[in-house]
Amino acid sequence: MSSIVKVKPLGEATEVTTTDRGPGAVVAWVGCKVMAWYAYIADLMALVYLSLRELANPVERVRRTASGVILRQILFTGVDALPVVSAIALMVGIIIITQAGTQLPKVGAGDQIGNIIVVTVIRELGPLLTMFIVVGRSGSAITTELGYMRVGQEITALELMGVQVTRFIVMPRMMGMILSMICLTLYFDTVAVLGGFVVAKLKLTVPFAAFAKAVTQSLSVTDLVVTATKGVLFGMAVAAICCHHGLSVRTSFTEVPQQTTRAMINSLKICLVLDIVVTVTAYF
Amino acid sequence: MPVLELSGAAVEMEGQGQWSDLTLSLDEGAACALIGPNRGGKTLALKLCAGLVTPEQGAARLFGQDLNELNEEGLAELRQRVGTVLQAPGLLSNMTVFNNVALPLRYHRGLSDEELEPLVMVRLEALGVAGLRHRFPAELNQGEARCVAIARALSLDQELLLLDDPLEGLDALTSRRLGEWLQAQRQSRPLTILATTRRASSLLAMVDRFAFVRDGRVQAQGRYEELLASADDGMKDYLQ
Repeated sequence: MSSIVKVKPLGEATEVTTTDRGPGAVVAWVGCKVMAWYAYIADLMALVYLSLRELANPVERVRRTASGVILRQILFTGVDALPVVSAIALMVGIIIITQAGTQLPKVGAGDQIGNIIVVTVIRELGPLLTMFIVVGRSGSAITTELGYMRVGQEITALELMGVQVTRFIVMPRMMGMILSMICLTLYFDTVAVLGGFVVAKLKLTVPFAAFAKAVTQSLSVTDLVVTATKGVLFGMAVAAICCHHGLSVRTSFTEVPQQTTRAMINSLKICLVLDIVVTVTAYF
Repeated sequence: MPVLELSGAAVEMEGQGQWSDLTLSLDEGAACALIGPNRGGKTLALKLCAGLVTPEQGAARLFGQDLNELNEEGLAELRQRVGTVLQAPGLLSNMTVFNNVALPLRYHRGLSDEELEPLVMVRLEALGVAGLRHRFPAELNQGEARCVAIARALSLDQELLLLDDPLEGLDALTSRRLGEWLQAQRQSRPLTILATTRRASSLLAMVDRFAFVRDGRVQAQGRYEELLASADDGMKDYLQ
């Protein structure tokens, strides 16, 4: 059984292939898949490490160059996403609060409404749905932008100018994405709970004071910390994955949509795994 | 010590099933053009010097430093002394012409907008593209984009300039203007130039020697007249 692992420079996908065509081919294939995922995760972690290292760069001109790109990323990922996040948060809030407000009293658990909202909206749906929106909106844009930059030799031109891609391209996008994700998640939670309640109030009989008291009593500092942690991790993961796939484009425009699709799917997979890890660690 | 040195740089040439064996050396202030057939190794030599291709054997050295031995940061540091323009100009599509030329100055020197203005404009004016300062790359034609890319490549007063077919897409006036500007740069400071071309005549005013590259090897080099006198029939086609 023989396998080949080719580790390429940063931004290029690590290839793991097998030349085995004998009876052990299935085992080799599984082994290659595992090694490919391992190499992929290692590539992503290297990208995160290099970006964080750049963030700690004390040189003032580096910070100044990066800050403009970070602000543009926050504007695009965070501020421009507010309308769509508001709409989705409001609709999810209406659904959850209406269901909780109408169904829980039937089983004698009307006093659990605050708990249900904290568990479903603030702990889980807020971070996850925000991540879905950001992946679909900004993650795809990052991969596409970097892919086209690669094909147009803009990335090569940056490297030839001595401009470090992790510093100029990846780190600002990652920081912008993390800050936007944290703020959007908290914003989603607030709109979903308050907006949902206001709209659902038309049909429910729970007074606002009682509702607010139930939610605040159920909400702990841990919930807020866990929600913010998910925002940080999701932002970091989505930015690293989308930048990695964008920079993995080589020579052809047709690779751009292929890499964008991969970036979307892998972002969702990895963020769901991170969500499980954080949730189990915090609450199990 | 040569500014640029390729010593037996061997790379497998794509789709040709053969290896290059490039040897070339340029001293400070020299200007050399690589001529030869397509896929003969001209651009490969340029990419080796730019550190975009790593030789499997031999070495590529700039300012005495072996590119193979430099880490990412060392290479980035060295590249501040080298301006490179490949066939695709690689202008950043989301930046205006002004910001493209200003980028290296902002990034490496941390200059403010007031400090950048004269430095960028003098280069754009010299190349006749100052009127395009607010335009984006998609609004430029091939020649204009190339001029902007060359202005950007020399924005830090680089000591070595690597140009891949610099006159491609340029009209006669712009070609002359670019030649004159590069000559002025060479007279004011020790600028070393390595360029590739398919027509030797187009770079006669810009360089002082030619190297004929074929089959991944520098087969002859010298002044234009010397090369022409000693050229075989195959070489003469590219020189005349």
